[in-house]
Formats: sequence, C-alpha cells, structure tokens
Amino acid sequence: MRATNLYAALAAAKHCAAGCSLKHAVWQSGKVKLYRYQPIARPAAAAPLLIVYALVNRPYMMDLQEDRSLIRGLLAEGLDVYLIDWGYPDGADRFTTLADYINDHVAGCVEHILKAHRLDALNVLGVCQGGVLSLCFSALYSQRVKNLITMVTPVDFHTPADLLSKWVRKIDVAAWVGDGNVSGDTLNQLFLSLMPFRLTQQKYVDLMAGSPDRARVENFMRVEQWIFDSPDQAGAAFREFVTWFYQENRLMHNRLEISGCKVDLRTLRIPILNLIGKRDHLVPPDASLALQKLVGSKDYTALELDLGHIGMYISARAQHEVPAAIAKWLAERRRK
Amino acid sequence: MHTEHRLLQSDPWQQWQAFAAQFAKGASAPHEARGPAAASSFAPFTDVAERFATAARTYFDAANADASAPAPADAARIFTDSLREMFADFQPWNLGVGAGTGPGSVPPGFTPNSPALGATREHQQRWERIADASRRIEEAQRRLQRIGSDALREAAATFASRLGASRPPVENPEALHKLYGSWIDCAEDAYGRAAHSEPFCGALAECVNASSEWRRELQASIEHSAKLLDLPTRSEVNTLTQRVKSLEEDVRALRRVRKTRPARRKAKP
Repeated sequence: MRATNLYAALAAAKHCAAGCSLKHAVWQSGKVKLYRYQPIARPAAAAPLLIVYALVNRPYMMDLQEDRSLIRGLLAEGLDVYLIDWGYPDGADRFTTLADYINDHVAGCVEHILKAHRLDALNVLGVCQGGVLSLCFSALYSQRVKNLITMVTPVDFHTPADLLSKWVRKIDVAAWVGDGNVSGDTLNQLFLSLMPFRLTQQKYVDLMAGSPDRARVENFMRVEQWIFDSPDQAGAAFREFVTWFYQENRLMHNRLEISGCKVDLRTLRIPILNLIGKRDHLVPPDASLALQKLVGSKDYTALELDLGHIGMYISARAQHEVPAAIAKWLAERRRK
Repeated sequence: MHTEHRLLQSDPWQQWQAFAAQFAKGASAPHEARGPAAASSFAPFTDVAERFATAARTYFDAANADASAPAPADAARIFTDSLREMFADFQPWNLGVGAGTGPGSVPPGFTPNSPALGATREHQQRWERIADASRRIEEAQRRLQRIGSDALREAAATFASRLGASRPPVENPEALHKLYGSWIDCAEDAYGRAAHSEPFCGALAECVNASSEWRRELQASIEHSAKLLDLPTRSEVNTLTQRVKSLEEDVRALRRVRKTRPARRKAKP
C-alpha cells in the first residue's frame, strides 16, 4: 500500500515546479537575466542585495519552495533582492570567459540596479562559485559594493579535504574542454562520484522506505530536479576556473588577473560576512575560512553553521538562521 | 490482505522483501504514473534493497546459531562477499568515457605499429593515436576498478567487524534499513579514503586525459571526412563564433567610449 501511495505522490510531484516567490526580469544580456523579487515585508531601508549564484547549477535552489527558500527568508526580512540567472549556455557561448561573466554580466547587472536606485553601491551575496565571482568583482569594482556576503565559497582550493581539487589537479583541462563546452551530465557524474553510495543509492532506498507523505515527496523531487538540471558550462570560462582556481590556486597566491586587471583581495576593505557549512563536502570549511587572511577588510565576520553544502540553502535550520543572520549583519553595518 | 498483514508482522526479512515486491507491483499497475518506465526507474533501488535484505537474513540466521546454517565466521564472509559482488560493477568515476566503441573504434584492417608510409601515412598515425588512447583509457579504468574493489573489500571487512562487535537487533524493516545505512557509511568511508589517494587521482586523471586525446583525434578524423564532402566542420564554426565574439567586444567598447565622451556641439550652419 505504501509503495502505491509513494508512486501516486511521485506522480503528483512530477508537475510541481521549483520556485515560489514572485519575480520579474529587469535586465537581460544574451542568455543572462537579472530578476528582481517582489517584496513581501516592510522595506528594511537597506541597499539592494544582489545574489550571484554559481554557474554550475541553476539558481532556483535559492527559492525552492515556500518553507525552503533563502530568498523568501531575505524578503521576509525586508530586503530588496535581485538574482542573476546565467541561463543555459550553448555551443555559441563556448568562448565566453570569466572576464565576460564578471566585467559584462555581473557588472551589467550591478550598473542596472545602481542606476534604477540612484545609488553608488549595493550589497552582494555570492554563493559557492558565485562567491568566487563576487570576490573578483568586488576587488575589481570595490566602489560598487557596499557589503559583501560570501556563502559556501571556496578561496583556498588546495585544502586537504578538497576531493574535487585533488581529482582535477593532474587533468589536462585545456585538452578536456577543447574548444567546446563541458556538459552538465559530465559535471553531474563528477559531483555524484564524490559520495557515490549515498547519492546514487542510499537516498533512493531512503525515499522508498520513508513515508509517502506528499510534501516530503514533492520536496525530494524538487531537489532531484535541481541536482540534475545542470547547465552545460561555457568552455572557456570553465577551463579558466579549473586552471586558475583549482589547479593554480591563484587567489591564495595573489596571482589572479581578469582581463589584464589584478584581482588583489587585499584591496577589499568593505565589510565581509563569510557563511560556512561545517559539514560541506564540496567546499570544505578550511577552503572558505582562508578568506580572512587574504582580505584587507577590518570588518570581517565568519559564521560557521552545522550544515552541509545544500543544507545551507534548503535545510529547515538554514531557513531560521541564515536570512536572519544576513539581515542582522547588514542592519549592524547600516548603523555603523 | 489479512494474510499479507500477518506475514508482515511475523518476519522482518519478509517485511522488507514484501515491501520491495509491493513497490514493484505498484510501479507496474495501470496508472499514468506507474507505467513500465516508472517501474524500471526504481528497479535498481528495489533490487539493492532486496539483495541486501536477503544477504543480511542469511547472515543473521547463521549468527543466531541455526544448526542448518554455516558457522558465524563463514556467514560473515558470505555476507561481505555478497556485498562486494553487489557493488562490483559500480564505477561512478567513469565520466561518460565512450572510447573503444562506436565510430572511435579503429577501422578494419588497421595494424598497430606497422610502418606509416605513403599517402595514408597521416591517417594511419592518427588511428595509431586513437588506438593508443583507447588502450590507455582501458588501462586507467582497470586501475580504478581495482582500487574500487579494494575499497569495497575494506568496507565489507569494517562492516563485518561492526556486526561482530555488536550484533544489532533487527526486528523490523526500520532496523534493517538502519543496518543498510551502516553498510553505506562503511562503503562511503572506504571509498572516500581511496578517492583521496594518489593512485586513484592519478588513474582518474589518466582516464580523462586519454579520453581527451581520443576525442581530439577522432574529431580530426571526422573533420577530414567532412571536408571531402564540403560539409562545414566544428573548427570552422568555432572560427566564425570567435570572430563574432570579437566584433561584439569591439562594439561594446565603442559604446562605452561613446557614453563617456562629452556630447559634441552641433556645428553652426
């Protein structure tokens, strides 16, 4: 009986879409779109918050469903939230570089927001790989960023627990990527290989063994959709990211240049909040904690939460703690 | 229904297996969501659950001194061997490598290491490189498989020692599920240690690097054929894409300059 109910719940969940908060596109460049979320609470009188998500996954993980939405939590705190959606790169985007992403796309979004609000600077929340892009952007355009929040963001790519880094260090990335893109399927397999028994078997056995409760199954299916809805990666940007960060660890050695301009994190003197997942298997805590020693900011806060990489956005605990922590930290910076 | 309920109450092993069977039945029932596709999508997981339950049942029957069952030490070995077999073909690190089959296979009549002479010299050398890349991929995959097999052996040994140290009461499907979780913990720990090791990282890199070479040579071979038929090649499309990108960058730069330049006064007539 339970199996039948589970199948019925899975069938019902097939059509449940991820994303729960109202938003509208306010700017577009190629496949990249900038969304602004509709407020749901009294405005907090803070500068707008731009979320820069990773290139390797879709950003709707930030707003999966009502009870698992970092964005909803931020909106409830009265923040004015913007999000960059990188879209799905195709063959025509294979030569898009990190410089294009940072100098054209992130900078384009920032300029649009600043112009619309008649401001000189805004708040940036960079997530995972998006955190790395945010750090680069903030170092290159420091006058445009008021406060920087990094979430599960790797900075030191050579920490002992970083399995991905160990795997890619001897790979000839230029040959692997060639002149093409890197398929999302390949990346999925790579990520699953980090914990294969849990991610390819146990979680499905757990699904079968658990209750066929509709909400539980819908939540499972939304996360499942997100995990495997991985966009192909623009080849040039992917090659640069793996080579410069994973292989050469350029941020740590202060040797990173984007389009000929040095990315020197020591010039970052803005307030920084670094959110770290203690149980993060993708970005080990040490990889994020390294940030403190690299930045010139005297206003640096690290907040370690007992969460995993994905749990940082969608766990019940994260819903209570993360948006409140961000809003409180921003409010304290406003008062300073 | 009543009989089934009694059966489920009486034997935890039967409960687990009945659950798996019910799941498969539910999957094949005539319902839009329970078609063959849905059933097959869950088949590997019901299979894992069922095979684990069967192996665990055999072990615990023996460990509980059933006269007709093998001795506990043998039972532990049989159990852990069956776990290793269950995951023997498990190769998560095989990153979509398809060398050695399909159009990448060497052509009929090709003899590796024969002297490359005459008009077909370049093609022969290319096929040699493809064959060499295929050989390297297979070798790297064998190394990975060996490391994976060793990791499974280590996981099984750890799991067996855990079972021996504290024989967990397995009175219901939940307890069996917990036991399965314990096996996954052991497997993941052992795999994690292996995956961090130098031999694993080296073999994985070799596998990817050889695959890249295989693909590059194959692409060159296909492009050669395309040129004979005057078909556009990927390389030509890439060249055009780069030209368009370069032009777009120039246009953006000009727009930026125009934006920052002060507006010119209109010349008086």
